[in-house]
Amino acid sequence: MLLEQLINGITLGSIYAIVALGFTLVFGVLGIINMAHGEIFMFGAFVGVMVTSTLGWPIWMAFLAAIIVTAILGYMLERFALRPLRGKKGVSHLAPLISTIGVSILLENLSHHLFGAGNHPFKNAFAEIHFTIGSITIYVVQIVIFVISVVLMMALSYWLSKTRAGKALRATAENLDTASILGVNTRQIITLTVVMASAMGGIAGILVGMAFNSVNPQMGLSMGLKGLAIIILGGMGNVKGAMAGGLILGLAETLIVAYGDSGYRDAIAFLAIIVILLIRPQGLFGQKTSEGRP
Amino acid sequence: MLGDFLNPYYLQVASFIMINIILGLSIYVTLSSGQLSLGNAGFMGIGAYTSALLTINYDMPIVVSVIAGAIVAGLVGILIGIPSLRLTGVYLAIATLGFGEVIRVFMINWESLTKGAVGLSGIPQIGRELLKVSRDAGFNPLDIGLKNNQYVYLLVLIILVIINILLIWFLVRQNKSRVGRAFAAIKMDEKAAEAMGVNITYYKVLSFVQGAVISGFAGALFAHVMGYISPADFSYHRAVEILIFAVFGGSEVIWGSIFGATFMTLMPEVLRFISEYRYMIYGAILILMMAFRPQGIIDVPLLQKLQLSKRRGKHGSKN
Amino acid sequence: MRKILNKSFLLFTVLLLVVLTACSNNSETSGKKGDSKESGKAVEAKIGVVSYLTGPGAAYGEAITNGFNLAKKEINAKGDVKIDLVVEDSAGKQEQALSAAQKLMSDDSIVALLGPTLSTEMNVVGPEADLNGIPIMGTSTTAEGIPQIGDYVFRNSLPEALAIPAAVKKAVDKYKVKKVAILYGNDDVFTKSGYDTMKKTAEKMKLDVVTTETFQKGQADYNAQLTKIKGLQPDLILCSALYNEGAVIMDQARKLGIDVPFVGGNGFNSPQVIQIAGQAADGLIVATPWFGDKQDPKVQEFVKKYESEYGKKPDQFAAQAYDALYIMAEALKNAGEADRDALRDSLAEIKDFPGILGKFSFDKDGDVVMDPTVLIIKDGKFQIFE
Repeated sequence: MLLEQLINGITLGSIYAIVALGFTLVFGVLGIINMAHGEIFMFGAFVGVMVTSTLGWPIWMAFLAAIIVTAILGYMLERFALRPLRGKKGVSHLAPLISTIGVSILLENLSHHLFGAGNHPFKNAFAEIHFTIGSITIYVVQIVIFVISVVLMMALSYWLSKTRAGKALRATAENLDTASILGVNTRQIITLTVVMASAMGGIAGILVGMAFNSVNPQMGLSMGLKGLAIIILGGMGNVKGAMAGGLILGLAETLIVAYGDSGYRDAIAFLAIIVILLIRPQGLFGQKTSEGRP
Repeated sequence: MLGDFLNPYYLQVASFIMINIILGLSIYVTLSSGQLSLGNAGFMGIGAYTSALLTINYDMPIVVSVIAGAIVAGLVGILIGIPSLRLTGVYLAIATLGFGEVIRVFMINWESLTKGAVGLSGIPQIGRELLKVSRDAGFNPLDIGLKNNQYVYLLVLIILVIINILLIWFLVRQNKSRVGRAFAAIKMDEKAAEAMGVNITYYKVLSFVQGAVISGFAGALFAHVMGYISPADFSYHRAVEILIFAVFGGSEVIWGSIFGATFMTLMPEVLRFISEYRYMIYGAILILMMAFRPQGIIDVPLLQKLQLSKRRGKHGSKN
Repeated sequence: MRKILNKSFLLFTVLLLVVLTACSNNSETSGKKGDSKESGKAVEAKIGVVSYLTGPGAAYGEAITNGFNLAKKEINAKGDVKIDLVVEDSAGKQEQALSAAQKLMSDDSIVALLGPTLSTEMNVVGPEADLNGIPIMGTSTTAEGIPQIGDYVFRNSLPEALAIPAAVKKAVDKYKVKKVAILYGNDDVFTKSGYDTMKKTAEKMKLDVVTTETFQKGQADYNAQLTKIKGLQPDLILCSALYNEGAVIMDQARKLGIDVPFVGGNGFNSPQVIQIAGQAADGLIVATPWFGDKQDPKVQEFVKKYESEYGKKPDQFAAQAYDALYIMAEALKNAGEADRDALRDSLAEIKDFPGILGKFSFDKDGDVVMDPTVLIIKDGKFQIFE
């Protein structure tokens, strides 16, 4: 029973982690909380449903299609909701927050019109493959999800620290003006960041569809708020923190259901936000900075 | 005559506008010291539940319970406000957002008190209570040609308008006082304000708590206008809606959030005929606003221009 | 200070004027519509509909308005009664439901209201309609205490308090159930009030409730709750969920290896469950007034018409809406005139009305009197449970 619950928690946590990676990337570079990330994730899941259930194509096509669609959405988000605000004088630091909230409302309701309000099943033979050890049933999807999340996290860390583009991205995150003077094409880097983050949301969307067989227009909001909690928990802009935060939240939510009161499941994420911000605002894995919070 | 003119639908929409203006003001007050609180939906819920429970369980008069609701929200505001002081900007926004959600989860789970998601029904409604009182006093609204619902919502609207005028008057006065200047100084530059001898801790908590009290007050009024509340009324969506009031209308001046609340309440009503696309338009407006007029529709230069042209108009008529 | 007062007064007058002008256009046009047809001996009536057409629950509103429109077409074709529907959206929100209802009520040519969709909305709209003396009938409001709001409040939707005990009783008898687990959505009025009924029923039948678990809206992962339930080995799971979540819960439960039957509430009862969960939906037991495969020509005709019109099978929401408008038409015919008070009285007298849901009567409060049918999903189909 405990073992099964741990598997449940790790599966959920891995998905949270991938969602949070997208959040943390955008925050790390732009200092913006992208409230539309959850909705982009939801669109990725719907693309998966369309490709596998309606068109009957194989699962890798679903991944490809979801990545392409969410990347395009990410580009549009950057182009129309974030770029116009950048570098403008007198823009409050809250403007991007509001603007992305606008995008999230727009996307949520757009998906109502495109796909209907109901739940869509994610029919895929791959999601059915499972094996049993003793009394425990393990689905291959659960393992795949965990592996994908770890691979994504490691690839992202490597990319950020070792490659040229990754270094340019970190330079941009450090100081936009200086990076620009030093010859980094910051506009390109920012676009790249948002597009990559969104594509990660798309991947997470497909994985949720496979794991839980449930895709609906409302899933973006709840996942988005959880992702927000995770980056606070793990430290804003911190890739490893997002992974750890995701797993911690996933396990905590599962265990409170198993051994506590399932009614308070949603409260964990939000209580964590408050407690972490008040006690350790840099997050569990963040570096303490001498300057005050922006 | 009067009866033909007063359509209860308009009266009711106007009443919602008044309540939303109070909510818009609640976020404006906190913003005027440079803090963004997304927890106002939670404070609103605290006010609403406190007031509703006091009237239902203890038969308290509505006037007393509404004030009690605002005070309880304010007390919670102090508890949250003091530790939250070390957070600024986006971090405060997220912490308060988390607070709002925690409040909602507790309202759902504390079933013995709140009846959970089913909500509290049968809350005494301001207008209907007054209708009873006036009937007992031998006055029938039909005598002046008013139907029941016209009378009820007319009374509600009049009360809300009076409350709004008093509140706006207070806030405008405060803006021009020592307190308002301290808020503005903190918003401009916290460190500089501190160096000038402004007691930052005191004024930041003050503006946060004022926001909490006002939203608790709005919540209590909401409960007694709707007659029914449930935790879903005080969710994330409400927090975002309140935020939009201030940001759309303009977060720099008090008239901004008033305009924002009015416009955003009216828009879905006027746009009912394209109701299917309402929320998509709502989202698009937010994006466009931020891109083209991030300070909101009403800002200081616009107000100055309006005042100038008004003055000119006055002089013109005198000559 | 005077300046400020002046300013604020000015502002408020402007606001009020904006409200008045913005909205007056609409009511004028709708007024004209009502006047234009005052001839013939058929009773002509305008009925307002408040429905959940945008937002997360839009699927319900859609089915309901489809049901109304289909019934309207047929009724108007018959010619005894001529009905005009004025549909307003509530977006599932109380304020908007109240505004919409207020708008409809203030149009004197509208004689009755149908809807709103949710019980929460009815809790707000009901007292107002009662105060104004306009009959209002819920077609999907199943929570306790709705018709008791007032004399003018009716419903034709089978309340949970009737449906759930019927289903539980049959399941307990058939499977010799002793231990049950309860799973419900605790942040939704509909599922929460369904849970309250389940709990009461379980207590009354002296069933051993091994655990009570909850879930929240928008949740996709029910594995934690289900794993816990699996460990406790209940004979039956009482699950108060809307079909959207319910279908996913069943799917995940079957994947975990839970094969005991489920008993669901009203919101769980939809052909969509089979579409979403497929084989996993087998073993769902619900009590319902609506059974689409009933061997009744009336029912079959309705299903055929609905499918050809809207391209999908009708669910109970569509069926209840369809019957509701027929009940209204019957009451209008009996009243002989389009008058709110006359309509209320003749509604209250409706007895044994033969609809597609079966024989229908109102009790003294305006609540439903009818026998539910208990169904089970077997081989991917709803069948009568015996």
